[in-house]
Amino acid sequence: MKFTIPIGPQHPALKEPISLRMTVEGEVIRDADIRLGYNHRGLEKLAEERTWIQNIYLMERICGICSHSHTTCYVQGVEKLMEIEPPKRGLYIRTLVAELERIHSHLLWLGVAGHEAGFDSFFMYTWRDREVVMDILEMISGNRVHYAMNTIGGVRRDLDDLQVKKILDGLEVLKKRTEYYFKIGANEPTFVARLAGVGYLSKERAMDLCAVGPTARASGVTRDVRKDDPYAAYDETPFDVCTADTCDVLGRTVVRIKELFESYKISEFLLKSLPAGGIAVKAPKRAKPNEVLSRYEAPRGENTHYIKSNGTDKPERLKVRAPTLANYPATVEMLRNGFIADIPLIFAAIDPCICCAERAVELVNARTGEEKALRFSELRKLADERFKNPSLKRNAVWPF
Amino acid sequence: MRLAVFLPELLRSLFKKPNTVDYPFKKLDVPKDFRGTPFLHPEICIACRACERDCPAEAIEITSVVEAEKKFKMIIHNDRCIHCAQCVDSCPTNPVKAMEIDHLFETADFDRHNLKMEWEFVRALPKKEPKPAAAPPKPEPPKTEPAQ
Amino acid sequence: MAVLKTVLYLLVYPGILFLFVYATFCEWFDRKVYARLQNRMGPTHTGPWGILQPVADFFKLMSKEDVVPEKADKILFTLLPIFGLAIVATAGLLLPIWHSNEAVVRMISFPGDIIVLLYLLSLPTLIFFLAGWSSTNFFSTIGGTRVLTMLFGYEVPLFMAVLSPAILANSWRLSEIALFYQKKPLLILPNLLGFVIALISVQAKLERTPFDIPHAETEIVGGTFTEYSGKKLAFFRLMIDIELVVSSGLVATVFLAGFPGGLWLGLLNFIIKTLFVIFFLSLIRALTSRIRVDQVVSFAWKYLAPLAILQLLVVILIKGLLL
Repeated sequence: MKFTIPIGPQHPALKEPISLRMTVEGEVIRDADIRLGYNHRGLEKLAEERTWIQNIYLMERICGICSHSHTTCYVQGVEKLMEIEPPKRGLYIRTLVAELERIHSHLLWLGVAGHEAGFDSFFMYTWRDREVVMDILEMISGNRVHYAMNTIGGVRRDLDDLQVKKILDGLEVLKKRTEYYFKIGANEPTFVARLAGVGYLSKERAMDLCAVGPTARASGVTRDVRKDDPYAAYDETPFDVCTADTCDVLGRTVVRIKELFESYKISEFLLKSLPAGGIAVKAPKRAKPNEVLSRYEAPRGENTHYIKSNGTDKPERLKVRAPTLANYPATVEMLRNGFIADIPLIFAAIDPCICCAERAVELVNARTGEEKALRFSELRKLADERFKNPSLKRNAVWPF
Repeated sequence: MRLAVFLPELLRSLFKKPNTVDYPFKKLDVPKDFRGTPFLHPEICIACRACERDCPAEAIEITSVVEAEKKFKMIIHNDRCIHCAQCVDSCPTNPVKAMEIDHLFETADFDRHNLKMEWEFVRALPKKEPKPAAAPPKPEPPKTEPAQ
Repeated sequence: MAVLKTVLYLLVYPGILFLFVYATFCEWFDRKVYARLQNRMGPTHTGPWGILQPVADFFKLMSKEDVVPEKADKILFTLLPIFGLAIVATAGLLLPIWHSNEAVVRMISFPGDIIVLLYLLSLPTLIFFLAGWSSTNFFSTIGGTRVLTMLFGYEVPLFMAVLSPAILANSWRLSEIALFYQKKPLLILPNLLGFVIALISVQAKLERTPFDIPHAETEIVGGTFTEYSGKKLAFFRLMIDIELVVSSGLVATVFLAGFPGGLWLGLLNFIIKTLFVIFFLSLIRALTSRIRVDQVVSFAWKYLAPLAILQLLVVILIKGLLL
């Protein structure tokens, strides 16, 4: 008996709205279909209305988990457009926050993987220990989620000796805990039985489908922007690209845990060889007409921003390609011929951030079920119409 | 592969104090650089509108009340504020910033108008030589005036 | 007087009122232990140490809107929670806790009541399946089929594990089995393997991690209970709590020598021994991750069933050689 089950747009396994339509035969998935567009926020259009400085905070709000990734990606691009070079110390601090963010993101993912596999104790413990790195980030930047560390031309806050010592202490604790989780992840039989062999993605298919980040690296593809196209302070930092060749969810878990160790190493190196000097240079208000593509290795994979400037203080066009979007085709491949029980695990294994990847809108006629994807030009026309009729009043009173 | 690797840790935490902070009943401490709610020192503000221009949430509004007396009114819409502290960075007054940010983070209210903060002030002259003594070391908490 | 005592027996202790109070207490205990094992606090604010939280949950659910899906079989859908609650409450009466008088003893304690109890404990599984099936929701249907698939895995090991102490005691009557082990406490030891098997099977019967497959929330939302809400869901939750009490009571009766000592001491015995069993159930819940439904069946038939047979062999050998 074949039937289609809808996973989402509202489903406990998904923390954000997306629709996965599974054609299942008994407990086995025969086909999968991913539908996007439930959480389109019109960020790119909004970015065209804001100045370079204001856009930093807008980019930060693309994603809550990799907020630093998106700002860094954007800020790097704008720095290239404005032809300014941030000071060494600023770059080091920027890289440090990036690595701390990677630690927090990967610990979060470990917990989520535990929760999706029904291993709630693992989830509680990893999230408890994630608080350590969250507190460090709060201490450095003044906020737990949106660090707002980047500014055009450097970073906004400096580190003092006490903070450096506190961060090193915190990393020591985390290192011990991560070793313990590695032991558990590799030894708890019920957990390993759930992860091993699930969501197979061969190396060739991973290359074909342009998988990025830990998803690609778990299939044995050595692809890491930090190594391939170093930015910030990564060209001076010694580290290894972690890969696994099991091509399954267990491999993705192992890659993430190994990356945690690499991140501890990188953070310690950065803290110990923190150069003296300023943290930021003054940025001009405008950028010359030009275009740039900025790449950044977010915890979830490669994040790219395409920025076009036209000589004013606002970008002409800003295009965001979040890592999750690149991993969707690979997810469909992984889901095929799996079990229903494995859907949340496989889907969670790409560490999906659905809101980040919402760049498309699909219009569905509720009566006929007819689906229509809007082309970019049509969407732009609609958006322009909307902005020509300025209903946006600065002091609009809440309608009640 | 071994059975029950998690067991010692689980049993240990059975006798440990819970790690949870019983939050609304026990208050949390925030670090000293925490970004809370922005407020103004009206006696130093030179009404340059840098904060208004840079605010990504358009939460700051500066209007001129009496043009001749250089009297200005500043409204911070805390319901829109995203607590990025860009206003503090943008503020050009030196060495004491006219815009500052405090540690207040429990700002919820039933009415968004209650979150509005207003100051009416006479523009300070931009000083070539900053006098730190002129600025009070501890500003009194900003007065909150609900809108009509 | 005898009638009054019987009514007391049915309604107050160990009937429905006691079962309600004790089941909610057991849920609280389970949640608290589970939380503390995870370094959390658990329920804290309703009553002292949050002890009234399950009661509060129950009454909150009772006051919620009750929605019946349009396509569901309305009569079946409505009756199932009530049937389920009645079945487990009846099963609770069979536990040899306190026998007020001869009439009651004749009514509820008879040779073969262990089989009846096991049968009554199997019925909730069927109820869950029917509940899932009658809601006509995809998630419920999948949950329902998973319930039945799992039943084929754990039921046989559970029966064999529970019956081996009965064979050693040479009785099919719960109170006699308990009495036998009270007289010869050392004979509890050969049944240790059976105790472990019974714990795991009861965990599967109660659908708790690692066997919470029929209502795995990250896979199939609420599973069998997806469409249930309000009073019906409250009944189902109470039913699961009572099932927890009764199953742990059964395990305590056959493996831990029952609850001797009349009314008060017997009650104390009951509480201590069932909480002991529930502690282990919570520990298993915290210790493992959910497995797949095919893994349940293969695990049950590859490991649990052979071990249960081994337990039976050990018991038969001991019986032949020593007694």
